[in-house]
Amino acid sequence: MVKDEDLTGKTPDALLVRRARDGDSRAMDLLVRRHHGVVYRVAFSVLGDRDGAQDVAQDTFLKAFRGLSGFRGDAAFRTWLITIATNEARGVLRRRVRRREIALDEASPLAERGPDPAERSVVADEARRALRLLERLPEKQRLAVTLRVQEGLSFREIGDAIGSSEGAARVNYFHGIRRLKEWMDA
Amino acid sequence: MSEDRCTEVRERLPAYVGGRLDPAAAARVRGHLAGCARCRAESELTALLLRARPHVPEDLAERIQTSIRYERATVRRPWWGLAAAAVAALTLGIGVASSVSDRTAEPAEYAVEEDGAFWLSDDGVIAGVPVLSDLSDAALQTLLADMGT
Repeated sequence: MVKDEDLTGKTPDALLVRRARDGDSRAMDLLVRRHHGVVYRVAFSVLGDRDGAQDVAQDTFLKAFRGLSGFRGDAAFRTWLITIATNEARGVLRRRVRRREIALDEASPLAERGPDPAERSVVADEARRALRLLERLPEKQRLAVTLRVQEGLSFREIGDAIGSSEGAARVNYFHGIRRLKEWMDA
Repeated sequence: MSEDRCTEVRERLPAYVGGRLDPAAAARVRGHLAGCARCRAESELTALLLRARPHVPEDLAERIQTSIRYERATVRRPWWGLAAAAVAALTLGIGVASSVSDRTAEPAEYAVEEDGAFWLSDDGVIAGVPVLSDLSDAALQTLLADMGT
């Protein structure tokens, strides 16, 4: 039996989920801390704005913990969260009259990385451009690329998250990458 | 360059640029990239996309945790508990209001604001006239939570 004080950042999701289901707030806190980043980035990928993504991230966790008793554990908890976040963000998008332009300052921290200032600047500019082009992809391709490259999900997990088969997730990913390459070279 | 080999490498590029491949697998990918311009170009694009990962706001986890605690605190409370707390809060407000009407007798008990609102000074409970009717649902929930109902 794992005691409250034994729960750490390394405790497996499955155990944290069981404890959260019993109302353990520390387990909930750890699950939030572990997965809020991917939930935020998925929401950001769908919506393209920071404020909306934060609201969706918050609503995603509220819904997840409300419905924890219905989580069967067939998929990973992270995949389940991504599915909720994707659906929440799509709902927000549907309610919006038009989509806002992506905030370019999202990519500004990129300028702090890289070998030397001149190269850093070029890489940062290219990364911003890639991010803008990523935003132009159809949603399923965009999500497949985001989840595969930025979150390291398998095609099966991506399929579960976006509501498609593993094969369709693979096709969406490679179509998205091919289009991005064409646009980057144009 | 073998098409099969390219397909295999392209599948692994996200893990390669993300540093999630074991050293032997990473060396094989690196070796392929050295001789395949097409896969190298895709590797560079994948690296750019990884760099473009949006920055997560620092206070987001805390904000989510707070909203969860708040919801759990309010959901656990039955409707009659909320009603009883509202009556208690209303009674307290009226009680304090009547005390204020003759506050000249005990001026040290209250801090009177210019706009007529006031605070009970000894136990930290906020009250005033009229209070409850002006409160939003969220503010009322917070007040009730503070009262420990």
